Amino acid sequence: MKKPDVKVAILGDMNVGKTSLLHRYTERKFKDTISTVGGAFYLKQWGPYNISIWDTAGREQFHGLGSMYCRGAAAIMLIYDVTNWQSYVELENRFLSLTDTANADCIFVIVGNKADLTDSQAHVPEAQSEPGAEPGTESEPEASPTCLPPPASPLLLHRQVNREDAMALYGRVLRYKGLEENACLPADRTCFETSAKTGYNVDGLFETVFDMVLPSILKKKSDGENSTVDLEIPRTDKKSKAGCCS
Amino acid sequence: MSGCSPQEAAVRSGSTAATAGRGKPERSGEQRGRENREAQQQSSLPGQNRGATGWDVNISMSVKAFELVPAVEREQLMGEKVRIGIECIECCGQHLYVGTNDCFIHHFLLEERSTKGRLTYSSQKLLQKFLGLKKPVAELKAASALERLIILCDGTVSLVDMVTLEPVPFGGAKVKNVIAFCVNENPVTADPFCVEMAVVSARRRAVQIFTVHEDRVQMLKEVTTPEQPCALSVDGYFLCLALPTQYMILNYSSGASQDLFPYDSEERKPIVKRIGREEFLLAAPGGLGMFANAEGISQRAPVSWSESVIGAAVCFPYVVALDEGFVTVHSMLDQQLKQTLSFREGHILQNFEGKVVVSSTKAVYVLVPLPLEQQIQDLLAGHRVEEALTLAEGAQRNIPKDKFQILHKRILQQAGFIQFGQLQFSEAKEHFRKGQLDVRELISLYPLLLPASSSFTRCHPPLHEFADLYHLAQGDQEKVQRCKRFLISYLREVRSSESTNGFREDVDTALLKLYAESGHDSLLDLLASNNACLLADSAPWLEKHHRYFALGLLYHYNSQDALALQLWVRVVNGDLQDSTRADLFEYVVDFLSYCSNLDLVWKYAEWALQRDQKIGVQIFTKRPVSKEQTAQLNPDEVVKYLEKHHQALVLYLEHLVLENKVQKEKYHTQLAVLYADRVLGLLTRPAATEEQLCSARRKLQHLLRESDLYRVQLLLGKLQDSELLLTERATLHGKLEEHDKALNILVHQLKNCRAAEDYCTWASQDQDQAYRQRLFHQLLSVYLDPDVPGGTQTVEAVDLLNRYSDIFDSAQVLELVPEAWSLTLLRPFLCGALRASVHARRTAQVALALAQAENMQLQHDRLKYRGGPVFMSEKRGCQLCHNTFREPDFVCLPGGTPVHTHCATQRLRDSPTKRSQLDHGHTCNHT
Repeated sequence: MKKPDVKVAILGDMNVGKTSLLHRYTERKFKDTISTVGGAFYLKQWGPYNISIWDTAGREQFHGLGSMYCRGAAAIMLIYDVTNWQSYVELENRFLSLTDTANADCIFVIVGNKADLTDSQAHVPEAQSEPGAEPGTESEPEASPTCLPPPASPLLLHRQVNREDAMALYGRVLRYKGLEENACLPADRTCFETSAKTGYNVDGLFETVFDMVLPSILKKKSDGENSTVDLEIPRTDKKSKAGCCS
Repeated sequence: MSGCSPQEAAVRSGSTAATAGRGKPERSGEQRGRENREAQQQSSLPGQNRGATGWDVNISMSVKAFELVPAVEREQLMGEKVRIGIECIECCGQHLYVGTNDCFIHHFLLEERSTKGRLTYSSQKLLQKFLGLKKPVAELKAASALERLIILCDGTVSLVDMVTLEPVPFGGAKVKNVIAFCVNENPVTADPFCVEMAVVSARRRAVQIFTVHEDRVQMLKEVTTPEQPCALSVDGYFLCLALPTQYMILNYSSGASQDLFPYDSEERKPIVKRIGREEFLLAAPGGLGMFANAEGISQRAPVSWSESVIGAAVCFPYVVALDEGFVTVHSMLDQQLKQTLSFREGHILQNFEGKVVVSSTKAVYVLVPLPLEQQIQDLLAGHRVEEALTLAEGAQRNIPKDKFQILHKRILQQAGFIQFGQLQFSEAKEHFRKGQLDVRELISLYPLLLPASSSFTRCHPPLHEFADLYHLAQGDQEKVQRCKRFLISYLREVRSSESTNGFREDVDTALLKLYAESGHDSLLDLLASNNACLLADSAPWLEKHHRYFALGLLYHYNSQDALALQLWVRVVNGDLQDSTRADLFEYVVDFLSYCSNLDLVWKYAEWALQRDQKIGVQIFTKRPVSKEQTAQLNPDEVVKYLEKHHQALVLYLEHLVLENKVQKEKYHTQLAVLYADRVLGLLTRPAATEEQLCSARRKLQHLLRESDLYRVQLLLGKLQDSELLLTERATLHGKLEEHDKALNILVHQLKNCRAAEDYCTWASQDQDQAYRQRLFHQLLSVYLDPDVPGGTQTVEAVDLLNRYSDIFDSAQVLELVPEAWSLTLLRPFLCGALRASVHARRTAQVALALAQAENMQLQHDRLKYRGGPVFMSEKRGCQLCHNTFREPDFVCLPGGTPVHTHCATQRLRDSPTKRSQLDHGHTCNHT
């Protein structure tokens, strides 16, 4: 089995669409998922690196496992449902404390999923908004009659969480972590709204996150190198010091 | 031992039985245990009492990873004593120790037997030992290096001899009040005769580390824990502990701890199993099997067990778990449930050095893993390609590298054939490529494609279930065609890669056959390019599909041009039908023109000329000039051969004379004669059109004018009589320098002054100005000749003079011109003549002046160089040798210094570059 170079964890309340997001990104499809049991992970080849993405279970029952999944994570995606205020509140109440085990330089992104339910803009097929996406990934036409109003219709659900709320949460996350806001990535780069159903902004989300964790991979690699070189470096330092004193 | 194997019964009974059994746990444990055994014996009778028996497999999962094989039967342990039950088990090599609740240890010798590929166990009871207490034996652990069995009974750890089961007194620490202990399988100490043991004491919130030697036990360390642990596992320095509310990792050397996750020990017995280096398997809330390494990180996704899981073990790549009614098998690779074996009254599930033992309270079984290959083959048989590959790749590190590669290749190939059978060609191709399939395996599916001479035999055991393509397609022609198209594209790719080494013949022949059959255009490309098609096998096939042209190419490729031509000629003649090339005749002619076999050329030249002389003659005319003497045709022979074919002969001679410019009188004369004959023939034939005649005459005239080699007299004799061919005759006279006659013919007989003028220009084109002048004067005098009928041709003469004024010598012309002519008539001529004369004079004056100037300049230079006089006397010394001059000869150096001639010579000789100037005598060296 390939060893992952870096770890990304997805956290969020049950039924916000964590598995669907990952599924949309990896399989380019939206399909019904069952409630995740425990957790699952997916290995993504990103350039020369392997990134493991952990999809966690949102159910309260598995809450205790969350901190294990977050341990050593280089990035954590906090997912809420834009039509469900409670899912947003839970991020701070339940999930934020799980991230204590993540890396000190862990990157946080806040993601509002199910944007297709409130924004007709999110119906734009991925192929148009995301040039990298394959055509023909919209499973929307078949799926829409059952659970979605057609794109043109004004029967959109009321949005309960706005982007401003997400950006405010990001600020509070940084404060919780004791991080200086200006030392971290700005909120407008770390707050996303996506739709796993239409694929809106999904590739953008994952690819941005992967690019964000690249420095962390490089740091980890160079740390690994340093540990082997360390033996030599102090010795030369000492020699030069000795030369000075005598 | 029962006569039948339980797994057979297990496969036969359906999955419905599994759910039924699971839903009704109503009978007492003892009763069920007996039924278990009975069912096992009955199950050889198919269909009997299925629903009530305990053995089944969920067919839908269909991977058979394990078989449940009985090891120790109920009678061997307790006979008819109902209350006795198994408490713990230890298995070490062939030794199986069973601890019971009545404080006995039973020692069995467990022998493995393989019958017909099936593994069975027979156990032989060696000994049983009563430990003398009323308490159950809680745990057993063998330390084989010490030949000791570590026993936990009544909270005390004791040692017995492994063989005699006699207690061994030991010194050092007493280990009492023990809840649980665990042996370190990755010990920290290097001593092989020492076992490390971690112990949880009931009296302390701590874990104690002991070392066990043959006859003593020593405590190494004690680490306190936040709560009283209830289960533990150890690897190196890492303790994995189950506390009442959570799991944690504790490094007993550094004391560093890492909380893993919470759980509730009230709800469920914790499970902590070491599964490998610094990795543990834990029972998590919600019936999860969680993996955690020593750093507290989960590197594998969890598996989902039932809530009531009792025991778990890893047998790579599977996680086996035991719950109240079943043994479940999950893959660690994709976390999916792969197999469920019904097992009632399950009590213990443990992995002993790779042997997974499961037991109820009454009997012991071994979970025998089926060979990986068989599991993979089962998956492939179920067309579960991805799972089979995942399983194979997941097991990579457990198999030696070379063996794995062979296995992996084979699986890839099989997977490819399964997908091929499902017409998933792109996936199949990818798997064939990765599996480095011998492409002949694929070709051999298609009947008759492999050459008869091919040494290929299909791989055994077979890679697929298909007899051939028709078997695969089940008579669906559309499928057959799609498969063929796939093979074409696949073979093309294979050809362009390097992987065909050694069997290019088979590949190319197969491709040729496919192309021929489908009428594919690439057939010709294949044959025209470098290929290895087998002639013996391909020829009948091409014939069968009427691809005669292609067959010819194949013959040609195999250097059998005679056969190729024979075949093509038959096609051209219409004896055979093949519409590949509408211009096959031209092709054959072209082919002959390049053919180096002259016998063949002569053989088919006759046929080609008879068919079409114009095209046929290209055999000779288009022949490239080759350096090989043998491949060259002798033109004389060709000309002789072509005598019968008039048109072809003319074309060939034209080729020789006009194109190749062969300078041979014979060909020129023959061509000229042929042209003349043609013209004369046309003249006598009334049906001939003006156009034909013109074209024939143009050719004749052209040749007569341009060639200097033909025999003029011969032609003149031929054309002498014709009154019409005056131009030609004039040309011939011209060739003989009989300009008089020629001009007379042109002016008086032909009456074409334009032609006469052109004649003059032509006849004098390679001559000097005087010759031309003479000719034009001749023409002028012919015009002005008053003795001919019709008198002088004044107009023509004037025109001639005016047009070619610069050629004529005006003085002579003025003498010739009759007095009566007016000045205006000759004005252009006279103007031109005057201008020319004036121009010549002025030009000459300029030239003269320039020449004089140049002369002056030279004179001036000469005087300058000569300088003044040099005075010479006997007293004067040479500057080079400093002797006086004895002779009057001297050489002047630049600057006027006189030196001896021999000194100057000497000096020049020393600077060789200047030596040439020495010859000029004076003024040389510039040093």
